[in-house]
Amino acid sequence: MAAEVDQKVVVHVRSTGDAPILKQSKFKISGRDKFLKVIEFLRRQLHQDTLFVYINSAFSPNPDELVIDLYNNFGIDGKLVVNYALSAAWG
Amino acid sequence: MAAAHEEAAAWSEEAARRVWGGAVPLQVHLHDADVTALPPPPPFLTLGPRIGYLPLLIPVIKAHFSNALPPGVDTVWFEYKGLPLKWYVPIGVLFDLLCADPERPWNLIVHFRGYPSEILSPCEGEDSVKWSYMNSLKEATFIITGNSKSVMNMSQADQVALWQSVTKGNLDGYKNISTRLKLGPFEEDGLVQTASTERQQSSDEPESPGPGRPCRVPVRFYVRGVQEDLEDIEDAMPVSDWESVSYINRPFEIRKVEGRSYITLGHALQTLLPEFFSSDPQNAEELGSAGGGSDTTNSSRSSQEAEPASASLREATKQAKVKLVRVQGIELDMDIPFLWVANNLKNPEYYLHICVYVSTRKQ
Repeated sequence: MAAEVDQKVVVHVRSTGDAPILKQSKFKISGRDKFLKVIEFLRRQLHQDTLFVYINSAFSPNPDELVIDLYNNFGIDGKLVVNYALSAAWG
Repeated sequence: MAAAHEEAAAWSEEAARRVWGGAVPLQVHLHDADVTALPPPPPFLTLGPRIGYLPLLIPVIKAHFSNALPPGVDTVWFEYKGLPLKWYVPIGVLFDLLCADPERPWNLIVHFRGYPSEILSPCEGEDSVKWSYMNSLKEATFIITGNSKSVMNMSQADQVALWQSVTKGNLDGYKNISTRLKLGPFEEDGLVQTASTERQQSSDEPESPGPGRPCRVPVRFYVRGVQEDLEDIEDAMPVSDWESVSYINRPFEIRKVEGRSYITLGHALQTLLPEFFSSDPQNAEELGSAGGGSDTTNSSRSSQEAEPASASLREATKQAKVKLVRVQGIELDMDIPFLWVANNLKNPEYYLHICVYVSTRKQ
């Protein structure tokens, strides 16, 4: 049955193109959070209003998607790999 | 056998035609605050394709209201009973989810000012919708094949043609291109004709799992709560807030099962949404005679740790009872084969969108 525990997800962020590299590349985030929270966090860290954020160098998920769903569907080796770029990287 | 096969193919063809031809009659009213003409303009009647998106209707709606609009820059958005509508959700899904009692025409309000950016992500017309569509398609492709290569390797011309076929509801044009993506149909034995067999990896892309990998069906759920004492679904309180809708993305993993002829829709739902479908034994009984096996599992870890999204639904889960399941406007029999639903009632980005109404105890 549905576990009441709040699972934390390790998000591994990687810069793409000429986006600055963050000092800290791994973060923990609640699985119940939406992907929007990851996007907003990266925008704040990078002081960028426009940022392109991808999963597995492949696609931009909908900001409404839950982090836990993304992790379960696309996580690799216990991490959710999130790429960010200042301009569109993968059409 | 050949005849049966042909008949099944004809049925699939018919289902796809109906999904693509499906439309919601819309009656669009201009928001009072945006009216600068007397008398105010009459509402605009149009058909919203089920597989289409609201921003794609903006050009015709704007033309209708052009004489009544205030000068300045337009930021167009739609509202239903106070709820700003998410532009990237297909029109048919919005209608199935928000109109408990299918209201025809569906009365929407269009706004040209005051974009609620705290609720809706920014939308720059068709480009934003195309971006969202292509990304959903890549995401679905990743779920099915383990990577997004077949979409990423499409030529620009094919991408444009694919998108145009969706916006114009051109099923034949769509099939010409989409069949090359090799994303289906899904088969009961867990096999799917996918592009991943043509192994073509770049170093940046995660390794796709080997050929023995079970196939997964991309599914998007929209779960909304309705009052517990509801007798008629038509009397459901309108959705006032998107936080009360759980948006859940969980693929269904197909595995070959000895001795089972097919996986029912009821069984697939129980597997994917255990928090709503199997808490109540009575409910479980109603929902799938072929259910109960442990042989089909949800993708990797999610079924064990499944959690509803919002706090209110988490609280409600314990007493949740499924009232209604709608796919493409249809209330489906729980005994029909899940893969038939997935193959034939999916949207053009390869996601199967399922609206679920659950009754929740009053807080």
